[in-house]
Amino acid sequence: MATRGYEKALSMLKTLPRVGLFNIAPNPGFVKPSKRGRGQHGGDKHGAGNKGSKARQNYMRTGYETSLRPYYLSFTHEPYYLGHHLKRQYPPLSLGQLQLMIDTDRINAEKPIDLVQICNTGLYKINPQCKHYGVHLTDEGADSFKAKVNIEVQWATEPVIAAVERNGGTITTAFFDPPSLFALTNVKKFLESGEPIPKRMIPPEDAISYYTDPKMRGYLADPDQVSWERLVLAQKYGYSLPKIEEDPNYEMLTLRKDPRQIFYGLEPGWVVNLIDRIILKPTDPELQEYYKG
Amino acid sequence: MLRRLVMGALRPNSCVQAAHRLSTTTESSPSEVEQYSSDGFPPPVVLSRNLEFPTNDGRKRMAWVENIDTVQERKLGMIDLHPDIFAVPPRIDVIWNNVHWQKLYRKVNLVQVNNRAEMIGGGRKPWQQKGLGRARQGSIRAPQWKHGGIAHGPRAPTTRFYMLPIHTRLYGLRCMLSVKLAQDDLHIVNALDIPTNEPSYLEDLAEERQWGPSVLFVDDTDVAPENIAIAADQIKHMNIMPVYGLNVYSMLNHDTLVLTLAALERIEKQILYFMHRTDRAKLAEKFKTSQV
Repeated sequence: MATRGYEKALSMLKTLPRVGLFNIAPNPGFVKPSKRGRGQHGGDKHGAGNKGSKARQNYMRTGYETSLRPYYLSFTHEPYYLGHHLKRQYPPLSLGQLQLMIDTDRINAEKPIDLVQICNTGLYKINPQCKHYGVHLTDEGADSFKAKVNIEVQWATEPVIAAVERNGGTITTAFFDPPSLFALTNVKKFLESGEPIPKRMIPPEDAISYYTDPKMRGYLADPDQVSWERLVLAQKYGYSLPKIEEDPNYEMLTLRKDPRQIFYGLEPGWVVNLIDRIILKPTDPELQEYYKG
Repeated sequence: MLRRLVMGALRPNSCVQAAHRLSTTTESSPSEVEQYSSDGFPPPVVLSRNLEFPTNDGRKRMAWVENIDTVQERKLGMIDLHPDIFAVPPRIDVIWNNVHWQKLYRKVNLVQVNNRAEMIGGGRKPWQQKGLGRARQGSIRAPQWKHGGIAHGPRAPTTRFYMLPIHTRLYGLRCMLSVKLAQDDLHIVNALDIPTNEPSYLEDLAEERQWGPSVLFVDDTDVAPENIAIAADQIKHMNIMPVYGLNVYSMLNHDTLVLTLAALERIEKQILYFMHRTDRAKLAEKFKTSQV
């Protein structure tokens, strides 16, 4: 056993006086004295100096340059960041991190992996309120990625798709609108709210081309074209594509959500009652038609 | 990881009871018993425990299980303790943080002094601004005046409440248990059953075993056995506490900590649960008073 410093500390404690209320202390510098001095001269200037603008704590507004014309007025409008705050963001998750989650049993690779599984690990942070639209699976650790998974992400690139399919797995890129993302990222909170599961909306105009692209394994792409592109990618990256038709987990690997579906096994319009452990389904024809369409 | 310990020790009935109370504890196989009894020792007690979340760094901690139904000490067996709880770095500063928090979070300042506006009178300018050769004054209750108001005085009610992060609280408990074990101030007993309700019995017990003088007994039940409750009630420095009340301040305040087997099991289970739950990051978020 490697000798640890604190093993020595613990063995020293055997001969040292008993640790009690009277002989414990914080780390030096932990207790900071109050900023405001007391006494005859303690409270004179409060550390703000003598006279003038600084002593009066006159904090100027941001960008104000006393007598100069501020730079933001000197230059004309330059819209570098026009619409930046409205752009969709995809917080990254690397293939290496995904492999680690699988190896440490945070994710069960025997089941389809989607945003719910990734959020439930507690290791991936996402906030739909900050225009986060889901997972961007990055290629870091692609060479050592060994898991065979059926994964659904929101953004992926060609090397990532190749790394997943090389191992006999499948990958789909799927779009979720913000209300669906709120449900996906905190399932328990959503189900406890008692609201019916919403139907997934179609992607916005600028994302349609990505999610209908079979090269990107878009969820709206033609399945036949996707299987063709799987073969094309295998030849491009120089690996032999494992036959998932002969895989014992064929059912799991080919499980896909309906374009209107959010959770595996649950359809839009259903209400899940966690207390009574029952599922309520809409019976009104008008509602049924709404959730189907 | 299954750790098996073979101990040659006396084997009273109470130990069998102890083994039953500890759910993951099992007894030895008969062949092992024969092996040791051939040396002339009494039948040994083998207590093995399945430690949850085992460590693989070779750290190991063990403790005797004692009886307290006689003044004279009898070793009933030996058990494994989880090294993540009983062999962590003894951070004295973390212990201090916990004690400081325990002292402060319940405090509310009720002292208030009057400022110049709250004093009676003083609305009138005491003398004219110019012409008298005196310093200009606006109120007889200004803070520089005798009997004037107080500037920046204490205002009530001011709470000193704050919340120590949950992982600091847990680490404090683990540090404290490690320190108690390292200093031989942690004792494990099978149960808190004593034969009499005389306080002198507990005093003799502590004297004989070099406990204390102050002793904290911890059990996993809300209601302690009658005899020890009556006896400890008459000794101010011997106290009984349910396991959910275990805290750093009380452990420091008492010289010796006595845990029952059931309490030990509960402490380990609860601390390990909090150490290994997947939403640790969410738990560690800043405490907001509105969340209660």
